[in-house]
Amino acid sequence: MVMESFSFMQSISFLLLLFPLLGFLAIGLFQKQLNKKLSGIIASAFVFLNLILTFILFWYVSTTNQSVETNLFDWIKFANISIPFAITVDRLSALMLLVVNGVGFLIHVYSIGYMKGDDGVNRFFSYMNLFIFFMLILVLSSNYLMLFIGWEGVGLCSYLLIGFWYKDHANNNAAKKAFIMNRIGDLGFLIGIFMMFHTFGTLNISEVATKVSLMPSGSTALLVITFGLFAGAIGKSAQIPLFTWLPDAMAGPTPVSALIHAATMVTAGVYLVARSSVLFVLSPVTMNFILIIGIFTALISGLIAIYQNDIKKILAYSTVSQLGFMFMALGLGSFSGAMFHLTTHAFFKALLFLAAGSVIHALNQEQDIRKMGGLRKKIPFTFALFAVGAIAISGIPPFAGFFSKEMILSVAYEHGMGMGIIATFISLLTTVYMFRLLFVAFYKPESDAVKTNHHIHESPKVMLIPMAVLALLSMVAGFVQIPALFSTNVNVFENYLSPIFLTAQQLVPASGQNLTVLTEWLTLLIPLTIIAILVYMSYVRFAKDRLPSELSGIQKVMANKFYVDEIYDFCFVKPTEKLSLFFRETVDQSIINRLINSIGNSTLYVGGRIRLLQTGNVGFYLIIMVFSIIAILFFNLIR
Amino acid sequence: MYAIITISIVAIIVLFFGAFGKKKMILPVIFVGLPLAFIVNLMGWNQSIHYFNEMYIDDNFTIAFNGLLLFIALLIFVFAPVYYKSVKRPLEDIYALILFSLVGGLMMTAFGNLVMLFLGIETLSLSLYLLAGSKKSDPRSNEAAMKYFLTGSFASGFLLFGIALLYGACGSFNLEDIKLYVIQNQANIPAMFSIGLLLMAVGLAFKVGAAPFHFWIPDVYEGSPTLITTYMATVGKVAAFAAFFRLINSSFGDVDFLWKTSLIVFAVATILIGNFAALYQDSVKRMMAYSGVAHAGYMLIAIIALKGNAAGVLLLYSVSYSIATITAFAVLMMVRKETGSFSIKSFNGLAKHNPTVAFAMTIAMLSLAGIPPLIGFSAKYQLFVSAIEQGQLPLVIIAIVGSMVSVYYYLRPVVAMYFTRSIESTPFEAAKLYKKQILFVALLLIILSFIPGLIINLI
Repeated sequence: MVMESFSFMQSISFLLLLFPLLGFLAIGLFQKQLNKKLSGIIASAFVFLNLILTFILFWYVSTTNQSVETNLFDWIKFANISIPFAITVDRLSALMLLVVNGVGFLIHVYSIGYMKGDDGVNRFFSYMNLFIFFMLILVLSSNYLMLFIGWEGVGLCSYLLIGFWYKDHANNNAAKKAFIMNRIGDLGFLIGIFMMFHTFGTLNISEVATKVSLMPSGSTALLVITFGLFAGAIGKSAQIPLFTWLPDAMAGPTPVSALIHAATMVTAGVYLVARSSVLFVLSPVTMNFILIIGIFTALISGLIAIYQNDIKKILAYSTVSQLGFMFMALGLGSFSGAMFHLTTHAFFKALLFLAAGSVIHALNQEQDIRKMGGLRKKIPFTFALFAVGAIAISGIPPFAGFFSKEMILSVAYEHGMGMGIIATFISLLTTVYMFRLLFVAFYKPESDAVKTNHHIHESPKVMLIPMAVLALLSMVAGFVQIPALFSTNVNVFENYLSPIFLTAQQLVPASGQNLTVLTEWLTLLIPLTIIAILVYMSYVRFAKDRLPSELSGIQKVMANKFYVDEIYDFCFVKPTEKLSLFFRETVDQSIINRLINSIGNSTLYVGGRIRLLQTGNVGFYLIIMVFSIIAILFFNLIR
Repeated sequence: MYAIITISIVAIIVLFFGAFGKKKMILPVIFVGLPLAFIVNLMGWNQSIHYFNEMYIDDNFTIAFNGLLLFIALLIFVFAPVYYKSVKRPLEDIYALILFSLVGGLMMTAFGNLVMLFLGIETLSLSLYLLAGSKKSDPRSNEAAMKYFLTGSFASGFLLFGIALLYGACGSFNLEDIKLYVIQNQANIPAMFSIGLLLMAVGLAFKVGAAPFHFWIPDVYEGSPTLITTYMATVGKVAAFAAFFRLINSSFGDVDFLWKTSLIVFAVATILIGNFAALYQDSVKRMMAYSGVAHAGYMLIAIIALKGNAAGVLLLYSVSYSIATITAFAVLMMVRKETGSFSIKSFNGLAKHNPTVAFAMTIAMLSLAGIPPLIGFSAKYQLFVSAIEQGQLPLVIIAIVGSMVSVYYYLRPVVAMYFTRSIESTPFEAAKLYKKQILFVALLLIILSFIPGLIINLI
């Protein structure tokens, strides 16, 4: 390793990785010794340092339009393969840095309050810092292999944190499920990487982009690569058919759900596709596939969310649905739209989860919304913050969700009226399940459980302040990108990312027709009207104390999550178990074991025979020596 | 050269002290003399000095192997006082014989002339015949000496006959002259020459203990006193291999069609017989004897794959084999002292009451079996790589199969030590005597495991 002299910015980008790693090592190695109150502060401090560095880097890349590339050391080097351990901070990764470190820091602080009193709090914070470390490797890496390392690393942390309360076996099963489902996607990712190396001879992201931009659109190699990468994204971002792990992942502590399973890790799939935008735009088949997967995921999980009763499960399905919405945007070619929604979603979904955590914290781990009700008066701050999140995610102006959704919807309408209506419908589902949740949990008359519980209390400041910051962001973050209808000048977000997606845009220019101003007004106002109606209807339906009505057939299917888990169990889990039993009992025990044992036994038998040559009789030894010499001379001289 | 002189003087001084009854002075003289010899041996590095009309060549090969031989001898002498603790009489004769045989070994690595080779081999062998029978009260020791002497002199006869025939063909004992003859007559080698070469090969194959001339090894190794067995299995074998390598390398490299096939047959037979026969041994000492046979087979591969860095590979293999073997035999001495038996059963439960010793034995066994990251692995790996580079893939496959088989018997003592319960649970008394020394060699083995590259590139 040759130590080159690094520039200031390069050193900073390197420190980004160092701090969380130090935090992980410091807390992880001294778990037993470290004071339980201290670990959260240490972990948060490291992420806070990262956040400061992020601001510096963000300022640098957004003002100079240069990227910071740091080659730390040569990692793999043999034959003609050379993969450096290198990181790149460009505008896209700087945005992700802001999300990861910003939201990450707030959630770390929140966790200090939330995890207080837990026995494993040191373990918790060491995992959290490790997660930040791997997430940063994921977003910073300048080649696909390192990106894969980060990808696997965050998967590992996700696994560790889902099963954080490992004494409950259900949590372990949820962790295993998440891990295995992710592995299925990762296999695709790996195949994509191999294929990429086979095709381009390099894994460097920018080199791949340069080489691919010279290729014709729709080649088979590109199809395989993009499908492979997208398979990875399906697993990580919980899309159909690999989405069932995310609701189960709610078994982990709520800050984990907020950080990993809402704001950052699950959006890695979106980031991957956006990062490889040049590859994807040149493979139209994959783009359409992404679009379809996105639509179906958003639709199905949105429908499921309406009929769930676990506060975290509703939010989880909501996350799946929003991710589907982002993939839809990617499928439509609106990479900045997807990234914009990713960013705003990170704010309000983290807020919603943290608020839900605050509710759960107040109610002593109660998660069933039917056992809540009337919380508006009991925990007013949490209610207010939750309401901000709900309004933001529903796309009600002027909160952030409105702007990011509008950006995607306008692309959808430009693509075609049908697509626009589907997208609008999906986004309306959000309103239904969010306001149902809001009204049932906070407005409905108090349930018996709440009435008898006298310990309901507002969360401490250490939890409320991070939530307030997120609420503020959820309110104002949208103003960086105002719909063209109101002003054509405020396109900060799109302009910021445009250098990243420039090549992709030039290769495949957007083909949609421009809409008339009237249509645009209509596509904006009609959904807003429907939202207003839906909110009112939900209020009438859920906020009053009405007995839950019997579920009709289709509703039952939705409440049971379309029986996807059961179908998977029947189609994959059970056959796999049977197959492994067959392999263990029949193939391994009866065939392989017997074969191996017979090899061993025959070896021993041969040994036993050879041993008998050693008679102990010197005369015999000499005779054999003489015969051997004769044989040697004979064979050598006859030739 | 100076090492030979030093060791000879030390041996004579030892004899004098014995004769004058100064028993306490014997070991100190040896412990001063051997390191001194080691140091004077190092002089002349990179100089390649030839003595007495090229009778004796002091090149880097010589210095490296002689350094190894002296070092091994020193390690064995470390165990001598504890091994002979109960013996009351002065042991000047045994110590002197060991030193004289060492002189023979030092000559064998350095000869530039076939006469010198024969002299070295006989000096080594004659002393070893006596040493094998040095436990006069034990009939097995006497039997070992007798068998060794009979078969050994038989083999020496063939070796001498081979030398004579070679002289008849080339008119010289000098390795350089023989090489010149080979280059000039490469096309039409007379039968006398090839027979002479093959008979020499047979003689040397006997000395290194390669099949089908290995029959003396199990009986002699088992019957001899364990300290002497250790010496035979390490110094004797390494010196014989160095001689074999120098002989083939300096004169007969260009006529490999004459000897290669025979050596490959030797190697295959040695690897298979050594490893397979070791499987069924109940006595760990006898098992180690067969293990020695098997390792001779591997080391033959270094001679067969002569080109490249074969000398370095042979040196590395010799180091790894010797140190691990000394460790194993040292543990064996200790166990025998306590239980009175070499049987595998006497190792039962050793890990419970003597964890250090059990650990040392495990390290030694794993290194001999070639398990990474120990030096035994690097040695085997380098050996196989150089053989594959010379196109000996089938041979390497057989060697690997042999290695796999060997894991079984090498792990037997380990299993006995760690997983079988012993009848008695008191720590071995003998362990107190042996523990430090055993730990020292085991640590040496571990340290050496870090620097295989250093050893292999030495020459």
